[in-house]
This record gives sequence, C-alpha cells and structure tokens, in this order.
Amino acid sequence: MIRFESVTVRYHGAASPAVDGASFAAADGGITALVGPNGSGKSTIVRALLGREPLESGRILLDGSDRGALKQRELARRVAVVPQREETVFPLEVREYVALGRYPYSRGLTSSPDDARAIQRAVERAEIAGLLQRRTDELSGGEWQRVRVARALAQETGMLVLDEPTTFLDIAHEMSLLELVHSLAAGGMAVLMVSHQLNLVARFASRMVLLSRGRVVADGAPVEVMDAATLEAVYDWPIVISRDAASGAPVLLPLRKR
Amino acid sequence: MASFNRGTSILRAFSRILPAGKLVFCCVAVSILAAACGRDVAPSSVAVRDDFGNEVVPGVARRIISLNPATTEMLFAIGAGSRVIGRTTWDSYPDSARLVPDMGPGLRPNLEVVIGAKPDLVILYASADNRPAADRLRSLGVATLAVKNDSIGDLGRTLRLLGIVTGDSVRALVVADSVRATLDRVRAATAGRERRTAFWYIWDSPLITIGRGSFMSELLAIAGASNLYDDIATPSANVTLEDVVTRNPHWVVAGPEGTRNLRRDARWRAVPAVRAGRIIMADTALVGKPSVRLGEAAVSLARRLHPGIEL
Amino acid sequence: MIAPRAWHWPAAVALLLFVALAGLVFGVSTIPLSEIFAAITGGGDETTTTIVRTLRAPRVALAAMVGAALAMSGAALQGALRNSLAEPYLLGVSGGAAVGAVLAFGLGLQHTGSLAIPAFVGAIVAVGAALLVARAAGRAARGDPRTLLMAGVIIGAFANAVIMVALANSTSDTLRGSLWWMMGSVADASWAGALWLGLYLGVAGLALLRLAPEIDVLALGEEAAAALGSDVERATRTVFLVSALLAAATVAAAGLIGFVGLIVPHIVRAFGVRRHRRLIAGSAIVGGILVILADVVARTALPPAELPLGAVTALIGVPFFLVRLGRMR
Repeated sequence: MIRFESVTVRYHGAASPAVDGASFAAADGGITALVGPNGSGKSTIVRALLGREPLESGRILLDGSDRGALKQRELARRVAVVPQREETVFPLEVREYVALGRYPYSRGLTSSPDDARAIQRAVERAEIAGLLQRRTDELSGGEWQRVRVARALAQETGMLVLDEPTTFLDIAHEMSLLELVHSLAAGGMAVLMVSHQLNLVARFASRMVLLSRGRVVADGAPVEVMDAATLEAVYDWPIVISRDAASGAPVLLPLRKR
Repeated sequence: MASFNRGTSILRAFSRILPAGKLVFCCVAVSILAAACGRDVAPSSVAVRDDFGNEVVPGVARRIISLNPATTEMLFAIGAGSRVIGRTTWDSYPDSARLVPDMGPGLRPNLEVVIGAKPDLVILYASADNRPAADRLRSLGVATLAVKNDSIGDLGRTLRLLGIVTGDSVRALVVADSVRATLDRVRAATAGRERRTAFWYIWDSPLITIGRGSFMSELLAIAGASNLYDDIATPSANVTLEDVVTRNPHWVVAGPEGTRNLRRDARWRAVPAVRAGRIIMADTALVGKPSVRLGEAAVSLARRLHPGIEL
Repeated sequence: MIAPRAWHWPAAVALLLFVALAGLVFGVSTIPLSEIFAAITGGGDETTTTIVRTLRAPRVALAAMVGAALAMSGAALQGALRNSLAEPYLLGVSGGAAVGAVLAFGLGLQHTGSLAIPAFVGAIVAVGAALLVARAAGRAARGDPRTLLMAGVIIGAFANAVIMVALANSTSDTLRGSLWWMMGSVADASWAGALWLGLYLGVAGLALLRLAPEIDVLALGEEAAAALGSDVERATRTVFLVSALLAAATVAAAGLIGFVGLIVPHIVRAFGVRRHRRLIAGSAIVGGILVILADVVARTALPPAELPLGAVTALIGVPFFLVRLGRMR
C-alpha cells in the first residue's frame, strides 16, 4: 500500500506548489491510475516518492512506514519505480540490465544465488527470455518497456510505480504490457500507474485518481471519476462519456470544436 | 593549441637571449695554479661549486658532453675540442664542432643518449629544467658541471670552471684574458664617443627586446651605444611598437631574418631609424651567446655603430 | 562492435606485457631482447643495464600507470555523468594542476620533481571549486550531470586565464618549465615517482572498482538511479572526487596528457564491455598499453630530441575519436 498524505511539493523558487496537499492511496492487489492533464503534478508525485523533490509538507507511507525515514536503498527494496525517462547513452545487454534490479540488495563485490533466482523469475513473468542477449538500444519500444518492468520485478518489491509506461506503444504492445501489469496486481502487488490514456487505464484500473493543478479533484472507481462534467472542467475541453458495451468500462470521447 | 604554438615561438625567441638569472657566487677559493696541477695537489679545504651547488671535481675529463653552445665553443677554444663527444643541436662554432655527435636540444637532455655515449663529464646550462637530468646523471656516477653562463661577467668564471674539469686551467685563463682584453680595447675606443640609443629586435610577434639583464645590453654599452630598454631589469621583455616609436631609437639592431622583417613590414616605417635605414644587421651566431667570441662581436658592433673607429 | 570473448582478457594483459617489453627495447637506440634480459638479470654491459634499469623500466612503469589511472578515471566519469565526452581534464583537474605548477615555478621552486605537490593541490582546489560552482548552479538544475561538466569547464577557463597572467611576465625558466610540463612527459620517471603513483592507483583504482555497480546505476539516469536505491548526488560526487584525485595524481607525476581518459573507455566499449566493473578494469589495461605506445613514439620519432607525450596522445587520440564518432552514427 502506497499512501500519500496531504503531500505538498514546491519547486525551488516557484510561486505555487506543483503538488498541493494531495492525499490518496494505491492499495495492494490492484492498479491505481493517476491521471490528469499536463502539468497537473503526476510526475512530480513520482519524483517526490523517489526523493528527487523534497516534500514541503505531508508524508508518503509505504506499507505504513514513513518514506522520509527510509534510506534510498531500503526504498528500492520496498517499491520498484519505472520512471518515464531513462538514458541509454551506454546501452547494456538485456541480461545485464535486468540484473541491475538487484542493485538495492548488492553488498560488496559478490552476487548471491538469491539474485539469480529473482532475475530468473522476473524474466519469466515479464516474458522476455528471448530478449536476453539483445542490447537495450536495439529493442523496440514495447520490448524496452517490458524489459524495464522485468528490471523492476527483479527488485522483488510489493509495490510498483509506473510513469507513463505505454507512451509511444502500438496497440498490441500497449495491451500486452497492461495485461502484464494487471496480472502483477492480481498477484497481490500495489500498482500505481501514471497515465494519459484514460480510456485504456479505465479498463485495467481498480481505482482512478484525477489530479488538476496539483490537487486531487476526483478519487474512486473509474466509473465514478470519469464524469463528463468533472473531466470537461479539468481538461478544459468538451467531452462526452459513454459505456463500452462489452465490459461496461467508461469511454471518453473528446468533441471537435465548432 | 594556438597558445602552445605562440608559447613555443616565444620560447625560441627567449632561447636566443639565454637569460641572466641572479647568480649565486659561491666562494671560489681554490687557486688556479693548484687546480692546474690537477689531481696531484692535495684538495683544498674549500670546494668549488657549480651553479647547481655541486662540487666541481678537478680532473682531466676525457669524454665530455657539452649541452650548451657557449660551453662547446669555450671547450674548443681552450683546446679540449677533441675530447668533446657530444653537443647540442644548436652548436655551430667552430666548424669542427659540427662533426661531434648531436645529443639533442640541450635543455632536458635525453638521458639515454647521454648515458649511451659513456661520458665522464656532462656540462649543462644551469636552468631549473636541467636539474633533474643533472641529479640523475650524478646518481649514476657521471660527473656534471652546471653553469649559468648568462652575462659577460660570467665568462671568466665559466672558463675557469672548464679549466678545472679539463685539467688545463692555464689555457682557460689565457682565453679568458684575451676576450677580456679585446672587450677592454673596444670599451676604451668607444669611451669618448656619442652614445646613441639602439633598439634590439629579437622577435616580432610578440615584439620582444632585450633588457638590462641581458649580456647583449652589456655588449651594446661596450660597443658604444645604449640599449633603448635598459630601464627593464630582466634579460628580455615584451614591448609594444607604439612605445618603440615614442622612445625613438637612433639604431635598430636585428639578426638577418629580423632585418628582412623590419624592411618588409610597413608598420616598422613608423620608426624613424627604420625609415632612415639605420638598421644594424648583427651576426646572430656571433652576438647570440656570451662566449669566447664576445670580443669579435664587440668589435663588429662597434665598427657598425661608429664607422671609421680605430680598433 | 565486437562480441566480448573470454580470451580478450588474457589477450589484453599479454598485449600490455608485450608493449611494456617493446617499451624497454625501443628508444634512441634499440636494445636487443637478449641484452634486455641480461640487464634485468644482472649480467651484461653496464651502460645498457643503467639505461634499461634506471631509465627505461621506471619510465615504462610510470607510463603504464598514468595511462591506467587516466583511463579508469575517464571510464568512471563518463558513466557517472552519462556523457561519452566526459574526461577528467574537462572537470578542471588539468587547469587547476597547471595553475599550481606554474605558480610554484614562478615562486622559484627550482626542482621540477617538487612540482607534484603544488600541481596536486591545484587540481584538488579546482575540483573543489567545480563542485561548489555546480552546487550553486545545482539548485536550479538538480541532478543534471551537465551542471558538473559545465562547472569544470568554467573552472578550467578561469585557470587558463590565471596561467596566462602568471606567464605573461615570467622568466624564461618559468615559461619553458611550465610549457614542458603542460605538454606532459614521463621522461623524468624514477622508481620513487612510479611507486608513489602506484600507491594512488591502487587505492583509488580499487575504490572505483567498488563504486562500479553504483556507476552502472547512475548511467541509467537520475530518476532510474534513484529508483534503484542510489543516493544520486552523493554517488556522483564520490565518483567525481575519486576520479579527479586519480587524474590529479597523474598530472602531478607526468604533467598534462590529454585524450587518454576520453578515448580508452570507447576502445574498451567497442569490445562489447558494458558493465562498469569490467569497463574500468579493461580501461586500466588498455590505457596502460596506449600510453606506453605513445611514449615509445615520443622517444623514437625525432631522436635525439623527444616529443611531448601529451602531443603524441592527442595526435593519436583525435583521429581515432573522429572515426569512432563517425561510426556512432
């Protein structure tokens, strides 16, 4: 369970906070989707969780313990984060890359048999066994995202945070990645997923948190949060909401302006 | 990289002047005669030291490497030329010196070359960058003599030291005396004459001239002129063309290449001496180092500065 | 890109030994192998023994260690700063060391051997200044490794200005000494100097090897590194400091020798080595090979004069680097 309690983050010198008293939680066993327009504070929340931005006030609880009291390595042993940006200036072999997920556990110069087992499991769950000999800069976008998830799984955490994992992916890769994340959540993980694709996440998420200008404006099941009036106000665009005939999930349709 | 190129060109210019540092004269108490008699004489209680502070051991060196053009000239002048087995790239006088193997540029000598020639004495210019080489050679059991032969006054002392290490102090004394006598003769001949100012052109970009600290400034004085930049204490200095024009020298002295530059470059027409053709072309080989040909250098300069002078 | 093979490692070590042997053989005069062995074992001609034992051997040892230190430093910095153009000299190390050396010259430190200390102090001061500048700028650009690089470049430029001022009115001794030193050389190598650098190389090199997994993580970027449990700022600073110390020690021992820290990690990566522990270890070997070779060129190209070692490494390094850049797309 990842719980944000009245979290406020202000960038250095900024007049208004990027995240303003946000409170919400990502529970175990489900996907919590964090949605909202550009600049609403979604990625700032991820950065705050990572300790890249200091909290002005509030706190972040990981299974009940205060994130602020945790060392960076302890954090990495509890929650695995797949950030939006990652550099491939010096590409690695996929095998080597996934092994980096064991870094939080590394001690001295040796690796333990636990590491090998964790890596093996991560590779199997993310179904990337065929990619192990490839280089990270030679992967397709979809393959790269799966490999990144595998790296996060090698961390063997109970919580997983994904920042925009499906950007630039085609339909098949997008869907298969979300199926993978969904199965992880079904296995008991607490998953927090930042996304722009409301229609997509509405079909996988058990909960949806809508941010606007750093504040939580709606929090609940996707059907509740995806309300035309709320979304129109937040996104400042005319919107209609319908229902997917098969699954019953809400579907958002932005209108053309006249 | 450009600054490096500029640096090396300045370096070349500087190396032509051979700077005069302040010499620390140690007590030279060993009598010339005692040294002349060589090793048979009981060692004196006070040691003669070179400019790195190392004791100068009297002896008859048989395989000498001279890493300074001036000392090479002196060795040949005192009759030790046949014992010189190594010289610098720049050594050009006397002609027979050119037949001696070239050991490199002289400063920071290549020790492999030096040791490979199996010398029993290595003579170095006493500059800071030669000190590691001198230390290394001594630690390997090769005698070294480091002299900072920068001014006309140093000449006698350098010759004396060379006399001690070659075992022929009398010849050294005679050579030193003959140079001193020639210089005295020129000094006397120009004494009553009008001393006009001379600008000594060393290098063009940047413009470098000699200061009071250079032996060339002494040479000018002996030959009957005064250095335009005698107010500068260092051996050499960067100056501006504007200042040269303001100071308005009567003569401009330059080497062969410099003379060509002076005549070709239109900027120099701003200097009245250049416009009027009062350019003295100095023989760089002759005036370039404080060595045994200083007398010759003074004579040739005096003849140009004071045509018709009796010498 | 060549696939990494198990035999690459012993081959690299063998090549290092081979090149070191070549370093003993070639010089102004070529000494045959038989005489080299005679000189090492204690028989043979006295002059040859002197040349091999007290001149060439410490020189080869120093060249190998300078190369290893610079290359390790470069490999670590490139990874930690996520910049394939990073190298120790870009971080103000060379500029600071040069200021220290030039000022020491100017103050009349006669012995070139004693320049090591002021050069080292200068390098450390410059690195400290670069860290301070980066921290002041860093509030706006937190965790951006470019800030550190820029700070290093700024400190380097300032150091250059100080050198220019110091040299503008200096004696020819100072000028000549400073220039020679700035062009780098291992010609004055002694066993004492080599041992001293060896000590540094041992301690700092091991520290870098230990930091290697952290560098692997840092290379993924600031957020990914934090996500994997790295204390990004602290780790970057540590790598920066250890690398700078290592480079400063080489600068103190042999003056400025550029491009080694830049190109060697690229050569090792071209053999498919990616994880930093192997990359740093491989860079040490290849760096040693490169600088020994460059020194052989420096002393055999224009006998009996010697070329500045820094100029030779640049002459080898720049074309190589341009070719690499071209292949990198």
